[in-house]
Amino acid sequence: MKNFDYEVIVVGSGAGGAMAAYTLTKAGHKVLLLEAGRDYDPKTETPMFQTKGQAPLMGASTKDKDFGFYDATVDGGWTVPNEPYTTGENTEFLWWRARMLGGRTNHWGRFALRFSEHDFKAKSRDGLGADWPFDYPDIAPWYDKTETLVGVCGTNTGLDDMPDSSIGVLQPPPKPRVTELLISAAAKKLGIATAPMHRAVLTRPKDGRQACFYATNCGKGCSVGAAFQTTTSLLPMAKATGNLKIITDAMVRSVDVDDSGKVNAVTYIDKNTGKDIKLAAKVVILAASACETARLLLNSKSKHHPDGLANSSGHVGRNLMDSTGASLGAHIPALEGRPIYNEDGHTANHLFIPWWGHKQHAKGELDFPRGYHFEISSGFKEPSSSLNGNFQGYGKQLKAEAKKHFGARITLALRGEMLPNEHSYMEIDDKVKDKWGIPVVKFHWQWSEHELKQIAHGLKTAKVILETMGASFSQPLPSPEKAILKGGQIIHEVGSTRMGACAKDSVTNQYGQTWDCPNLFIMDAGVFASNPHKNCTLTIMTLAMRNSTWLAGQLDSSTNPIKAWES
Amino acid sequence: MKRIKPNNKQINQNSPYVSTLTRRESLKWLGVLSASALLPSFTVFSELQKTQSDASSVVKGHWPKLKLSPISAKGYGTDPAMVIPKSPWPRTLTTEQIMLVAVLADILVPRDGYVPSASQVKVPDVIDEWVSAPYEKQQRDRFTILSALRWIDDESKLRSSNIFVALSTKQQFEIIDDIAYEKADTPKQFRQISHAFSAFRRLVLAAFFCSPEGTKDIGYIGNIPINGDYPGPTDKAMLHLHQVLDDLGLSL
Repeated sequence: MKNFDYEVIVVGSGAGGAMAAYTLTKAGHKVLLLEAGRDYDPKTETPMFQTKGQAPLMGASTKDKDFGFYDATVDGGWTVPNEPYTTGENTEFLWWRARMLGGRTNHWGRFALRFSEHDFKAKSRDGLGADWPFDYPDIAPWYDKTETLVGVCGTNTGLDDMPDSSIGVLQPPPKPRVTELLISAAAKKLGIATAPMHRAVLTRPKDGRQACFYATNCGKGCSVGAAFQTTTSLLPMAKATGNLKIITDAMVRSVDVDDSGKVNAVTYIDKNTGKDIKLAAKVVILAASACETARLLLNSKSKHHPDGLANSSGHVGRNLMDSTGASLGAHIPALEGRPIYNEDGHTANHLFIPWWGHKQHAKGELDFPRGYHFEISSGFKEPSSSLNGNFQGYGKQLKAEAKKHFGARITLALRGEMLPNEHSYMEIDDKVKDKWGIPVVKFHWQWSEHELKQIAHGLKTAKVILETMGASFSQPLPSPEKAILKGGQIIHEVGSTRMGACAKDSVTNQYGQTWDCPNLFIMDAGVFASNPHKNCTLTIMTLAMRNSTWLAGQLDSSTNPIKAWES
Repeated sequence: MKRIKPNNKQINQNSPYVSTLTRRESLKWLGVLSASALLPSFTVFSELQKTQSDASSVVKGHWPKLKLSPISAKGYGTDPAMVIPKSPWPRTLTTEQIMLVAVLADILVPRDGYVPSASQVKVPDVIDEWVSAPYEKQQRDRFTILSALRWIDDESKLRSSNIFVALSTKQQFEIIDDIAYEKADTPKQFRQISHAFSAFRRLVLAAFFCSPEGTKDIGYIGNIPINGDYPGPTDKAMLHLHQVLDDLGLSL
């Protein structure tokens, strides 16, 4: 980059990379950001009010668009053209990628729940997995700052699984829908609370972004900026400082080192010309996504780093976790023919069921170690290629039957915490390269009995809640082995470059600074020491804000140990 | 999928379904239909798959053995323009198949007062788009649906020596009544077709409700911008909820 004297190279423009770029540029540091995908502008590219009926195949999912025609993801999904990944024996793993500016923030669910003290120190409590190298009070102010910047709607509930935000941080949540109130009443009878979901969706305008107008699914992206994605918020704001340059279609091949093993450059492939370009680097932040970052490190081998960069611990690629997922749905006869109104709302959960089992855990009443929550799928939804109900016959009766089912189905979707295990990891497949000649990722995956017992508990609980609303089940519950979704399928993969308190069993310190290379940072979900059930994006952004603020302080300091590397 | 304004005519022999895409084909159809009405020499049995060697059992159970060449057209790819949605693959149903689809779709979803029928909102075009798509699920559905279409014509020829669309309404409903219910006591010879017909029925229903008129008919009133806060449930909706809660012995 001639004429642009950048101090930091950031790889990836999603939740972590964009937040790092925003924070550093706001602090006056020049940042060069590399994105593997194409440029993308939600303002002109989002199909806001287009209906499923207007879409090919009524918007149904296909291998080209795994989450349906209108999903925002560009050139990605479970597969990326000509960029395969492989799996080990007896492994099923799915890896969601996007090749676009803003990465996966363009389509995410926008569920934005804080992790709690309970989550950060779970090992201290039950001896499993790993603790995080800081305490909740260390990160709480950064959650406040991130929630304020991102724009999160919700309330302080006082529930033990939902830490409060500071007063004035959260925006007001939308009113609950009828189906959610019914669930709430049924759960209450069972001693389980519901709460307004925290979502990164504006209900009040902010920074040139409009408030939600309660229509069009957030998964399409949001042209008015109400639903948070970095392409309508952090990236344009960072650009406005004059301190950010972005290069798209830049697929990073390696992070390079000098003769003494210090990071001094990044090599990327310009996808438009196919040529390798080497950029000198003083400080490098990797935020390419947990598995893409680990892949990059493992592919950046050198004399000084024979097992891959920043991998003296051998932990790069290990401790890979996703959230557990399973769901149970039922037709609720009492909801048949209920009065119709507009239930789009902000197009996802207004209420959800937070984890309620901390006390039961403490009393030793549960046979699995970590918690889960239920997300709710219900409502008068826009017609699509799939229909609720098992239909017979024809004519007027058939249509009457279809109408009877409209808005009368409720599904509870479990999202739970997984523990790291030695059978779940990623490595480089030496035999397979992608179209750029870069060796690909090979996944290995196994659920342990912890997750399976949790799923069994969740299915039983979901069944009781649905039965309390009057649902009946003709089939027995599926086994947890059958019900649990595949590894990677919840798209919460984390832990592949985990942070920790010592260099022996972790890849970075609490600031995402790699133990082996002081000028190499990781600011995506790879650094997660555990994977609490509450969705990872808010914490990715919060850590990226906190850790790049710390990095900015280092760069500003005359005794900066990072600067010492430059000379 | 672009739709044209529905016409108000019910589909029958004299008023064939006019697809948005194959208007010229439909002229051809008129010729086919008039020819087929005259044609006594339909090779009824030779096309049938006999389940047993005994020729007399043919009526009891038959299933066409279709040989379909795979769809090789390209899909819309991993980066389609979403603001102006398009499905690029060519349609593959023949004029005869489209006509049969239209007649069946209108039996499933007939005109109902001011609410148009399935064919009037171009459901057959959506079915054609679906079965012609180069994706795995759609190709499986194509096999199921084309087999069902063939079975229905085969059955029509067996019973009344003519294709389905040329039968009287009474004859058509005799067949439909036999295949429109998947039940424990569905006679053996109708089980496979009932199952295939269910898949077709779901697709027709979905396509109907996805049309603007169908969406209005089912009652979906979202996808409109709201100024200010989300208003939440109406009073009427809340009143109903409270009745439901009372009936279930629950409280908020």
